[in-house]
Amino acid sequence: MDNIKIITEHWDKIDPKKIADYVAVGGYETLRKFVCEADPASALQEIKKSGLLGRGGAGFPIGDKLELVASSNKKEKYFICNLDESEPGTYKDREIAKNNPHLLIEGIALASLIIGAKKAFIYLNGNYEEEEEILECALSQSIENGFIGEGILGSEYGLEMEVFQGAGAYICGEETALLNSIEGRRGEPRLRPPYPTDKGLWGHPTAIGNAETVSNFPWIIKNGGAEYSRIGSADSPGTKLYTLGGSVKNTGIFELPTGISIRDLIQKSGGGMMLGKEFWFAQIGGASGRLVLENELEEKLVLKKGAKIPLGSGAVLVVDKTVDIHDMILSWTGFFRRESCGKCVPCREGTFRLFEIAKRMNNGKMSERDKAAVSDILWALENTTFCPFGKFSATAFRDTVEKLNISNS
Amino acid sequence: MKPVTVEKILLEFDPEQGNILPVLKRINAAFGYVSETDAKKMADYFSVSLSHIFELASFYSLIGTKKDSDIVIKICSGTNCTVQGSSCLIAEVEKYFGIKAGDEFNPKVRLEVISCLGRCGEGPIMMVNGRIYTKVTVSGARDILENME
Repeated sequence: MDNIKIITEHWDKIDPKKIADYVAVGGYETLRKFVCEADPASALQEIKKSGLLGRGGAGFPIGDKLELVASSNKKEKYFICNLDESEPGTYKDREIAKNNPHLLIEGIALASLIIGAKKAFIYLNGNYEEEEEILECALSQSIENGFIGEGILGSEYGLEMEVFQGAGAYICGEETALLNSIEGRRGEPRLRPPYPTDKGLWGHPTAIGNAETVSNFPWIIKNGGAEYSRIGSADSPGTKLYTLGGSVKNTGIFELPTGISIRDLIQKSGGGMMLGKEFWFAQIGGASGRLVLENELEEKLVLKKGAKIPLGSGAVLVVDKTVDIHDMILSWTGFFRRESCGKCVPCREGTFRLFEIAKRMNNGKMSERDKAAVSDILWALENTTFCPFGKFSATAFRDTVEKLNISNS
Repeated sequence: MKPVTVEKILLEFDPEQGNILPVLKRINAAFGYVSETDAKKMADYFSVSLSHIFELASFYSLIGTKKDSDIVIKICSGTNCTVQGSSCLIAEVEKYFGIKAGDEFNPKVRLEVISCLGRCGEGPIMMVNGRIYTKVTVSGARDILENME
């Protein structure tokens, strides 16, 4: 089962702008079967059985999320596919939309019908212009062919689907900020509870799932949840799209089972380090991820909450020893300063001060005063911010200080 | 073709809260930014306060609230682009024009450091007036700037 491909199976083999190509390889068959059998409860059970965890970064069991919305007796419900993907170093969802948009649309349709939603949105990153065109094209084809719209394939099911494009804000990848953005407000996170599954878009129960997560749905419902749960690591089963970047020979997207070691990913898929470059550290999960040194490369990549090295969005950045760490620190702190939404003070001010201190660093050294300030700021970010964004903004900085011993060199 | 006006754009959309962001994007695409006059017209059309329109326009990085410089250069400083050397590009462009990244006072040219565009495999990424250049080197950046227009 090591070579199983669920999402990338037909990439490069089908034309994303031709629905016939996707149908020819068995596409929309699961949706057809679903509307014929009209048994959303057992489809939901398969998703739950599969143990599929959200692929956006937080790793919440998607089956539980769908069940919460499905069990609500409110009439109006929504499903939103989160394709806002703006974590630095991650572009897996973009590739899904670009290479096989119909798989995504089928997955969204299945998710929506399971929870009883009549309307689904695809929240697309504002910078993804090419993908918007492809998705719109794919969507209109699937409507023409009766897969989306009123009376799907002649059944009683109906589903409206819309692509909603953001306008460039990292924070809108956070569920409640995303909801605010669609509702025409500033993309700032909301206080939880109420959770979106209870009061989401326009106050109605809403399930929000990452694009990669829902792209697994057709396979799971077709082959069964038990089959899926046998792939990869036991506590976060399935395959994962890893985005490998940095100083390795082959960069790009690799679909591999969860639970592989970081070393295997770098050596086997990435082909090892670029010639003449020496491994220094890797960052797992984008700009908000942990740093991993040579001695931790055997660590397994899993999505389970509380994992030592959280996999996050699946981005793995390999950094070699020629890279100036000061540039990296400026990149991290600059990113979080720009993207902090400004709703809560600890994050707004904390990210700003970290960036200032980073700019002041001289040859990677901090003054005693800055060192004291940094430990205060990191504490405030980790413990007092409104949403996880603030907490994550401290991760890389703390790891740099503690693991790489920058300030003591 | 008749010129696009704000009124025409507004009439393409229903006055619903959810359409505010799409309208802002349309206006921005047509005129390059959302002016105060346009924002007032929007506020009237959607029956919301002017500050609501402005807080949205200023929040999202793809929407501008004042006329942009003639030349706008954007360089990605995401982690992948940084590993591939985007900070040298920033320094090179700053030197070439004698400007600082982030300054908005020069009506001719502006350099902005931006977040990830999701093209990490092709970094470093540089954008000149909306056109995307990939795998840009320092000398390549100089070439691009010298051969502009």
